[in-house]
Amino acid sequence: MGRLTKRAAMIAAVLGLVGCSGGGTAGTPPAASAAPVTLKLMDFSTEQTAFHKQVSDEYTRLYPNVTIQWVSIAQAQYEQTLPLAFQSKQAPDIFYWQKEGSNSMNWLMSNSWIGTVSPDGKVPSDWTKRWPAGSFQNGINMKNGKVYGFPWQDTQYWGPGYMYLNKAVFAQAGLDPNQAPTTWSQLADTCATIKSKTKAYCMAVPMKGTDWQRAWYAMAAGNMTDLLFDYKNGTFDLSDPRMLDTFNYLKGLYNKGYFAPGVQDKSFSRQQFAAGQAGIYMDGPWMVSVWDQLGFHSDGYVVAAHPNPDSGAAGALSSTNSTNDYWVSSQTQHAADAWKLIQWITNPTGFFVRNFLKNQFATLAFADSKKVLTDPAWQQIFKIGDTKGFRVSYPDPLLKCPALSTSSAYTDASALHPNWELQVMVDAITSNKDLKPAAQTVVSTRQQVLASELQKEAASGLNVSLSCYSFGTNGWDFTKSFNPASYPKS
Amino acid sequence: MPGASGSRFWIFVFLFPFLVLYGGFTVWPLLATAYYSLFNWDGIQPLTDFVGLGNYQKIWADPIFWLALKNTLVFAVAETAIKLPLTLVVAVLLTRRWLLFKSFFRTVFFLPVILPVALAGLVFTYLLNPSNGALNAFLVDHNLVHTPIDLLGHGNTALIAIILVATWQIFGQYMVYWMAALQNVPEELYEAADLDGAGELQKLWHITLPLIRPVAIIITLLAIVNALHVFGVVVTLTSGGPGQASYTVSYFIYNEAFSEAPFRYGYGSAAALLFAVLAFVFVSGQAVLARGALRRRQEYGV
Repeated sequence: MGRLTKRAAMIAAVLGLVGCSGGGTAGTPPAASAAPVTLKLMDFSTEQTAFHKQVSDEYTRLYPNVTIQWVSIAQAQYEQTLPLAFQSKQAPDIFYWQKEGSNSMNWLMSNSWIGTVSPDGKVPSDWTKRWPAGSFQNGINMKNGKVYGFPWQDTQYWGPGYMYLNKAVFAQAGLDPNQAPTTWSQLADTCATIKSKTKAYCMAVPMKGTDWQRAWYAMAAGNMTDLLFDYKNGTFDLSDPRMLDTFNYLKGLYNKGYFAPGVQDKSFSRQQFAAGQAGIYMDGPWMVSVWDQLGFHSDGYVVAAHPNPDSGAAGALSSTNSTNDYWVSSQTQHAADAWKLIQWITNPTGFFVRNFLKNQFATLAFADSKKVLTDPAWQQIFKIGDTKGFRVSYPDPLLKCPALSTSSAYTDASALHPNWELQVMVDAITSNKDLKPAAQTVVSTRQQVLASELQKEAASGLNVSLSCYSFGTNGWDFTKSFNPASYPKS
Repeated sequence: MPGASGSRFWIFVFLFPFLVLYGGFTVWPLLATAYYSLFNWDGIQPLTDFVGLGNYQKIWADPIFWLALKNTLVFAVAETAIKLPLTLVVAVLLTRRWLLFKSFFRTVFFLPVILPVALAGLVFTYLLNPSNGALNAFLVDHNLVHTPIDLLGHGNTALIAIILVATWQIFGQYMVYWMAALQNVPEELYEAADLDGAGELQKLWHITLPLIRPVAIIITLLAIVNALHVFGVVVTLTSGGPGQASYTVSYFIYNEAFSEAPFRYGYGSAAALLFAVLAFVFVSGQAVLARGALRRRQEYGV
């Protein structure tokens, strides 16, 4: 009886904890363990290791019974280590995973890797208010009313599509970096001037491995989309005439000798730009901190939006609810403590946010990044991101067809030869070949897998079809944000 | 026959550790690879999606696999064809009595072997870089070329660059193999040839080469098998590029199976098994040649 009584008391205690956490408010943290607890976090943000140490120290100062063990390893190792950690029942309490975009939660659930963010999945409304409206969506980071994830980076400013101009190179060429080229013709003219008047190359464009994406996403977004899938028509899109036009434009710049020579990786290209060997580099806002690390600060460059076709922008950069990056492990023994830490981390004015932003690691979805990031480069980025039509909200097939949460068709289609599109583009540009035949092969192969797998899944009773991936019939186009009211009512 | 059964017991006892290790690290992975190749499996979820020979059918129709296979064979043949004769010549020179500073030369030639392949790749990436690499700087500064040569940036030259760098790196290892083989040639044969007035080339052609032929077959076998596994130098020099121009089978397997989650272990396993079969064909062919060469050496009575 004594043992049973003890067990009942423990269950009551646990239920009590869960009840507290669910019904509490962000201002009153849930009752977590008072016994010594070690919370293990895992990600591949190796550049943040020193910051993680600061965070651990501060958290332990506030909650002396809790030790934070934040492990960051290289990305390639991480993707192999984490599955092994789960298989060997040594998973971290909180971990980073973002491979499947907005389908991450469903993928992680199918592997039984995640639990709810709070012990019972309920979260107080003043916690969710830290995010913009619409950030918590069933099928993306919620299921059956329970919260499993939360957006990490903001999607208005964070992402590809920015153009960095080296002031010194522009000055040597007699150009005003504050008058950045806004059209394809202007970019070509700028490059011609830089080539003729300076010893620098016009553009540092990395093409090794997957690095071609850095210039490609920026330029493709102006003409159609930065995604390799056309959500208007429900097809893979590299063979679309607009994508081919964009590619041929870039190939023209390459053939004219406007790119720094060689198939370089991003590190090399970045160093070229920072050293004044190239006038232009395209990438995301994370470059502000990268430039700082290279000793190249915002007084040496200007940030501008990517150039658009001469006839005007026919597309925009995409924004989706796909930054649900940190998850609570299903194997954690400290769910209440993990939830308490998450609330502390996501405090918009707290220690974590202030110092994370101060270090310029990213702009956060639950914080007013503009207030902290006052560097002129960041101010330019915010201005660009706020420009109408620069980045638009994309539709999400998961919200149109919830059954896609258990479909593997799209994953199978896109996992076939990872980065195939980028590879055929680099091959075509360096070999001076026509991209169209290779693009058609890539698109038809992927589309065939997608269609046939969806057909198989539909035959087995899953309510999925190719139409789940097409939103043209909902009146959506690449230049405007998708209206969530257009999703079918469930 | 207690003695015979006792011997068998001890044979088994001594073989047991080897059998355990061989079973665990060779047989089991091979069987597991064959088994996984029959599934559409990401390496994480349970093995439930049985696809039979589906992965093999996909590979058969996969142009990138065939490109990778073609590149691998070109690499293996070309690298072997370059490194073996060159290393043999150097080994012959380094075993000559009249040569001074032998140890120095051996060390110099062997040094690249101990360099990690990642470092070798990195060094050559910078040396061959068309933007500021030493090779292009030299060529341009001396007016030997007007514009830098981008060896790693073009599909038709990237594989050649990989072959040359890989040859440079492995040169010392094969030189040592040849030197070991040359030391097995009985000295009295050379002395007899000297008495008959044979020159150096005649001795090389009529004594050295025939007598090292069995070992040469083995060295060639090792060279080809090692070359078929080329991976590190591809990763560090070109990452399979530009595009997919320098894909090799090992890089293809890595890229399909491990490069990005969700992984495709099943597909990668099927490609790996096909590759293993191919390597086995090479090994078998070499074994036939080796037996013939051994008979030839026995005819010489040495």
